[in-house]
Amino acid sequence: MEVLDSGIGRLFHVPDPDRHRAYIRQNKQRALVEKVMTEQEAVSKFVSDGDYLCFDCNMVMRGPSSLFREIIRQRKKNLAVGGRFTYIIVNLLVGAGCVSHIDVGFIGVGSALTRVLDSGDITVTEWSNSAMTMRQLAGALGIPFIPVRFLGGTGAFQYSAAKLVRDPWTEKEITLLPALNPDISLIHVHQCDVYGNARIFGPSVSPWETAAASKKLIISTEEIIDTEYIRRDPGKTTIPYYLVDAVVEAPFGAHPGEVQGLYNSDQPAVMELMQAGRESTGEGLKQYLEKYVYSITNHQEYLEQRIGLKRLLELKKEAKIKEGYYL
Amino acid sequence: MTRASDFTETEAMVSVMANMMEADKSYWVVGGGPPRIASLLAQALYLPNLTASTEDGVIAPQPLVPLSPLMQFVSAKASYRGVAWTNMNTVCSLASTGYFDYGMLATLQVDPYGNINSSFLGGDYYHPGRRYGGAGGANEIASMCWHTILMTTQEKRKFVKKMDFVSSPGFLDGSPGARERAGLPAGSGPYRLITPEAMFGYDEETRYMKLLALAEWVEVKDVLEKMDFEPLIAPNLELMRPPTEEELDVMRVRLDPLGVTISDGKWIHL
Repeated sequence: MEVLDSGIGRLFHVPDPDRHRAYIRQNKQRALVEKVMTEQEAVSKFVSDGDYLCFDCNMVMRGPSSLFREIIRQRKKNLAVGGRFTYIIVNLLVGAGCVSHIDVGFIGVGSALTRVLDSGDITVTEWSNSAMTMRQLAGALGIPFIPVRFLGGTGAFQYSAAKLVRDPWTEKEITLLPALNPDISLIHVHQCDVYGNARIFGPSVSPWETAAASKKLIISTEEIIDTEYIRRDPGKTTIPYYLVDAVVEAPFGAHPGEVQGLYNSDQPAVMELMQAGRESTGEGLKQYLEKYVYSITNHQEYLEQRIGLKRLLELKKEAKIKEGYYL
Repeated sequence: MTRASDFTETEAMVSVMANMMEADKSYWVVGGGPPRIASLLAQALYLPNLTASTEDGVIAPQPLVPLSPLMQFVSAKASYRGVAWTNMNTVCSLASTGYFDYGMLATLQVDPYGNINSSFLGGDYYHPGRRYGGAGGANEIASMCWHTILMTTQEKRKFVKKMDFVSSPGFLDGSPGARERAGLPAGSGPYRLITPEAMFGYDEETRYMKLLALAEWVEVKDVLEKMDFEPLIAPNLELMRPPTEEELDVMRVRLDPLGVTISDGKWIHL
């Protein structure tokens, strides 16, 4: 196949479907075993320095906010981040010193990110939101690359690691994206059983692709439900158990974000987070991390000591739309 | 429908866009800003069954407005009463197979061939003056919908000869077949560009930006002064209709009561 053009961006992992298969064969549990553990245990066991990290949604929309905070609390280092469809989390992870590489779909830019971009301490590769989810799809299909009809011709292509080739059948130009098999992915769900059979209700970014492409997968869940409910209504299962390495019970785990049908986003808390990220000296971000991450030991303390029952009940009450969720 | 006499520039632009939307066409609309408000306005007043989708895979919702600025995707309100809740790759595949007639986007900068920048302004790629979010979902919209409609403000720093960075494709270098040579779908590309003061299209032969219509409070020279390049000018310029009182009511009371989007720009008094 003739390669017509190549992006010059850094490709963090060169796709290797056979190596990925070998990893899955060796490491993923097929047996129906309980995987419930604390967020400390899950993050310390499954998130390693230098890992490529992906997640579904973001800190304002059904994202794994409590797991993000735990990663920062454990001071993980040199992570590569798949930053698509995000507002602030990439900036937060960068500000906390956890990141060495960013794949850009869409990232909320704040002071921490601006500083490291200029210093060159972090490598950045351009893509787009769907480029990232298509890369995950290729990873989930176990194939090395996927052809797409977008990205070509732009600066986003030029600073990506995509290639423009001549399609051997039609002889037309087509863009190829390299598959993405993240080392670790985080997904926050509405319901999950102790084995990892997980349900997401409502629209989403790429939960299946994120789960199926990843080597390691941590699910945080609003509630743990009995497997009997899973077996009575299997059509509701988004992710089956043997893709999952850890199940963390995390009610209000998306806070300050929303979980559709359950609680609204906490708008003042979202604004506090956004403002901390944007404040130019970096002091705001430091204070935010100290207050909401470092000075407490876990998600339960975050809820009890920093947010409070009164506020959480208000957010639950504000979520008036129930159609399409749980029923 | 009473013609309004006092409104903001953004309200004018949103009204023009809303009135261009059609019942028998499908739209991929970017999450926030004027394009989303325009789509919601069209749906509120003219097209209750508007076929619009967003990149979170929500198909043809009837959102519960107002939507908070950061909650325009995935949230229960934004996805309310859709006909399907899918995901990003599903919407992307529908664009790839030709289901979307129009993509609606905003941009930081635009050049004579309708290319879009949402990545950075000033400096170079490795040392950007100011870095922005990146191509986001705009690249797939501008690449694969049949027609791209852009909305932006009429400012010299936005209409530039050469962009700091091309995040999402217009007609690229404007040469015949440039998009196809870059692997983009044949027959797709920029269609209209709407500002508060003017509407532009693109010349069929040269793909160069062409002034098509003006707001009634400006003349051609006013618009040209706010561009870094000179567009082609259609022989018969049309007049853009100002918003109606009814449209302003819906925008101000129901869609954007805090004025997050629609209060942008200066006030026009006719």
